[in-house]
Amino acid sequence: MNDEFESILDECISALQAGIPIKEILAEVPDYADQLRPMLYAAAVLADPNPVLVPTERKTALRAEYMKQVATLPQKTPTWQDKGQAIYHILRKRLTYQIVLSDLITVTITAILTLTMATLILTFIAKDSLPGDTLYSLKRMAETGQLLIPLSETYRRGLEESFNQRRLNEIEQLSQQNRAAMVEFSGVLERKGDKLWIIEGYPVVLPDDVTIQGQPQEGDTVHVIGLLRTNHTLVADTIRN
Amino acid sequence: MSNEATLLERIQRHDQVALAEVYDLYFDQIYRYIYFRLHEPEAAADLAAEVFLALVTALKSDKPPRTSLTGWLYTVARNLAADHIKHKSRTVPLLDEIIADEPSLSEQTQWVHLMPLLTNALHQLTDDQQQVIALRFGQGLSLVETAEVLNKSIGAVKALQHRAVAMLARLMPEVEHE
Repeated sequence: MNDEFESILDECISALQAGIPIKEILAEVPDYADQLRPMLYAAAVLADPNPVLVPTERKTALRAEYMKQVATLPQKTPTWQDKGQAIYHILRKRLTYQIVLSDLITVTITAILTLTMATLILTFIAKDSLPGDTLYSLKRMAETGQLLIPLSETYRRGLEESFNQRRLNEIEQLSQQNRAAMVEFSGVLERKGDKLWIIEGYPVVLPDDVTIQGQPQEGDTVHVIGLLRTNHTLVADTIRN
Repeated sequence: MSNEATLLERIQRHDQVALAEVYDLYFDQIYRYIYFRLHEPEAAADLAAEVFLALVTALKSDKPPRTSLTGWLYTVARNLAADHIKHKSRTVPLLDEIIADEPSLSEQTQWVHLMPLLTNALHQLTDDQQQVIALRFGQGLSLVETAEVLNKSIGAVKALQHRAVAMLARLMPEVEHE
């Protein structure tokens, strides 16, 4: 009851300060009118509509004295402690759960998008690279990635054949440019000599330290890793079937 | 960041422009607050000026307001006004004497004519009640703002306001309201 009356009184005082006549205010709260009336008349006297001010001349003089004192204040350059406190206040305002979560999501999405875009751009640039080029490993990684995507066996084999054809084309291009590089490809072992095998039409020299895995026979498909020399000779490093 | 918070930060760095802004922004408010309590224009102006000089002194001694500039200024003003009231030598006339000196109330057409009576009646309120009245009526602050300045709950300010206005109403002479 008391709290309710105090609230009503405060609302009436605010109404009075807003210029509403006492009679109108009391008419809104008839149950409390008798109790409120003397208080509102007292409040009406208090609510001076023309507040007093210091005469301008005096105020100017007081201000001048104040500014004279202000001028004596030493210049204050922020200390490391001040800077630290300022950073702390900024961080404290920033480090709310929602803001941190929102920042984290934004940073993650931005990082993923940036990485994806960068990979796509570099893969596009690397698509014509040859063994020995800087971006060649990226080209091979992109191919490996494609093979990792779970697709049908037929599609996967098609991709493997397509990639192997690229390897053979790369050897052709390297030969045309007289470049030496480590190459690899898969192909049919067409003829098996002592030191020279013909694999997918390419003569492959077998040095003494060559590694041969399995027992490849003519007609088998073998995978060759070797060095293509500038004289177009392909020296095998590893052959496996 | 609010304007007051920015101002506070700037004055902590002894920014002279900010200190001038503080004066221009708060001087009238502080003066009216003190005037409302003392009803002595000269003394109120001197004390209001002292409030701002106290701010400079606080900055010099590296004890500036930390959280609320308004709260700090009003606290200093309140203390200075309280000291002034405590130490002034003049005798406050009794309310009955004042009433006796006043023209008959039936002759009064404006409520403001009762101000001198009420001014003296104000001195009979407790310090807290006077603060609330000075801020609510002298400054026109809202209940919430008054509570912030006095660092009290809204409920406490409402109660103080109620008791103060009721007391003043009792001290007011019978008035024909129509």
